[in-house]
Amino acid sequence: MDEAFRVAAEWYDGTNAVRHSGNLSWDGSGRFSLVAPASQMEFEAADLRFGETRPGKTVYRRKSVPDFRLILPDDIPPGLAAQLPAKSDYGAWVDRMGLGKAAGIFAVVSAAAVALFMTAPDWLGPRIPTSWERNIGEAMVGDFGGRICHTPAGDAALAKLLAKVDPAEEKVRAGVANMDMVNAVALPGGQVLLFDGLVQQAESPEELAGVLGHEVGHVRERHVMTALLRQFGLSILLAGADSGVSNSVFGLASMGYSRDAEREADEYARARMAQSEISPLGAAGFFERMAKEHGDTENSPALVGWLASHPSSGERAKAYRDAVRKGANYPPVLTAQEFEALKSMCREDPDVEEFDFF
Amino acid sequence: MHGSHDVDETDSAFVFEGNWREFAKIAFPNLLLTIVTLGIYRFWATARERRYLWSRTKFVDEHLEWAGTGMELFLGFIIVLVLFGVPYFGLTFIAQSLIVRGYEAVGAGLGFLAILSIFYLGGVARFRALRYRLSRSRWRGIRGGSNDGGFVFGLSYMWKTVVGWIPLGLLVPWSMTSLWNERWNKMSFGPYQFEADAHSGNVFARFLLFYLAPVVMFVGMLIMGGMGMLAGYGFGGEDGMAIGGLVGLIGIVLFFYLGLGLIAVAFYAKFYREAVGSTRWHDLHFSFEASTMDWVKLLIVDALLVVFTFGIGFIFLSYRHWKFFMTHLEAGGEILLDELTQSQTATAKHGEGLLDAFDMGAI
Repeated sequence: MDEAFRVAAEWYDGTNAVRHSGNLSWDGSGRFSLVAPASQMEFEAADLRFGETRPGKTVYRRKSVPDFRLILPDDIPPGLAAQLPAKSDYGAWVDRMGLGKAAGIFAVVSAAAVALFMTAPDWLGPRIPTSWERNIGEAMVGDFGGRICHTPAGDAALAKLLAKVDPAEEKVRAGVANMDMVNAVALPGGQVLLFDGLVQQAESPEELAGVLGHEVGHVRERHVMTALLRQFGLSILLAGADSGVSNSVFGLASMGYSRDAEREADEYARARMAQSEISPLGAAGFFERMAKEHGDTENSPALVGWLASHPSSGERAKAYRDAVRKGANYPPVLTAQEFEALKSMCREDPDVEEFDFF
Repeated sequence: MHGSHDVDETDSAFVFEGNWREFAKIAFPNLLLTIVTLGIYRFWATARERRYLWSRTKFVDEHLEWAGTGMELFLGFIIVLVLFGVPYFGLTFIAQSLIVRGYEAVGAGLGFLAILSIFYLGGVARFRALRYRLSRSRWRGIRGGSNDGGFVFGLSYMWKTVVGWIPLGLLVPWSMTSLWNERWNKMSFGPYQFEADAHSGNVFARFLLFYLAPVVMFVGMLIMGGMGMLAGYGFGGEDGMAIGGLVGLIGIVLFFYLGLGLIAVAFYAKFYREAVGSTRWHDLHFSFEASTMDWVKLLIVDALLVVFTFGIGFIFLSYRHWKFFMTHLEAGGEILLDELTQSQTATAKHGEGLLDAFDMGAI
């Protein structure tokens, strides 16, 4: 046998720990043979796989005998070396492309994936059918566990108010939640809730019309689905971190919208109010009061979640004030009795449940 | 070559021959590829690191080999994600929506169930990670493994951990040694089982030190605070007293955190010596020689390395820990090479996904 195709080798046959020392040789037509005093074997060259490198040595395996190990020195005659499988370092893809090129391609693909993931809520949200959103909302909050206040007079007043800011044929579902916070939310599934705390501090029905119009705006402009997707994406990123049970309820209540979305919702509310001849002064007054109470900062305390990520209260008050038509004489949006019915709704509903979590 | 090896105790049976410059050539490209693939490469990175560390570790006269692949680790991760991640997400979602609807008790119960299942799976994961490591570690072509799936161990892990804490935590050493024994007794390498019989009695004194230290320290704290105030008063009256008190307070806090941490390390060092020292494999016995000071040095240099490289030193921690482990691990006894036949245990085609998901170490 030609010395160019022979090299000293060590191997383990995989059945026991005995090391065999002998020679590896190539027969010139695709087969290797291993010969040692106490062991002999032959196998196809194509059966051999690269295993790993050690200082001065390379380890090969056999595909058909996974426990077999062949250890060869680094200085192998070139004729034989050409028959051995190539070394692998990083993994098949990276080895083929080279580290620099692979890193570059991966970086581009990753950047595209991140961009897609980050922008998905904005373009995907509005395309999700309303019926799906309704189902998701149904699954997430249902009827809010009977915590929504109902009295015949209050319901009628709320329906009247809603009709003025939501002219669509199929109305969003609106309710007053028995919760003592100055807040309002638009929930998945086209459900809008005014918290009783907000209703109690309102000085005029026009104020409530402004807030209600704003939340309806979120629903109609499909902001809810966008925010939901964003939150879902975040929770995937922070997988496991948000496993608390109660904080997600609050997370839902203060689910953030972007400032653009807030502006859109405000514009929607002003447009509806103008159509229905509702004075924007009530809403302006509300924001002025909020600015005074909580300071006109952008980072309002978390407690006033409804205001938290909104444009500053002062700015919004001005926008509403500017929307007032000169010399117009707005009729009141609700009668005094209707306004009172809204205010007493939660107090007078005998069946409503307390809004506490534990 | 037939025959036997006497594993001589004058020379170390385990020798680590790697160096950090070589490791850096693996760790830095790994870091780069992990970043540009948004973390997906880390499975392949782990396999590369282990391949290096194992291949530079010599047991008696032959190097170890890591036969695991990045792909199987990746598959393990995907399996865990589908089998456990999705149901867990669903369960918490249902729990939340139940709470919103007013079924607080049922919702909280479901949430509790989700946490309980995490606890259970954590135990299973510890078992399976060790099994996976043994099944992918080879020496002279022979591997280890276990025929046990670890599902019973998961239950033991739950009840022993709970029982360990019930009598004010006094049974924690027992639960640790008992779980160590239970886990290792189910493992094998080649044809032979591992045997472990670590006794909690041998580590209990150290544990009491750790256990009682806060009380002792609290007393020490009062004395130190008082002395600080007195000393301060001696120097500068009322103001001095306040400053003295403050200095005393800082001393107390440092003493409390560093002192307690040090004692925790002292306990762990002792536990590890006991656990490894009570583990045998056929005619081999093992020992682990790291003292408390060795551990302290390891941890302090770890911390300095990470802090002074702005976190990049993190990639060298696996190297440091492996080297530490192999430097202090010893073995003695006899191995009959022709009796050391191949392991007949089943091998999973996927990696330690569960443990990966829980982010724990295997040993």
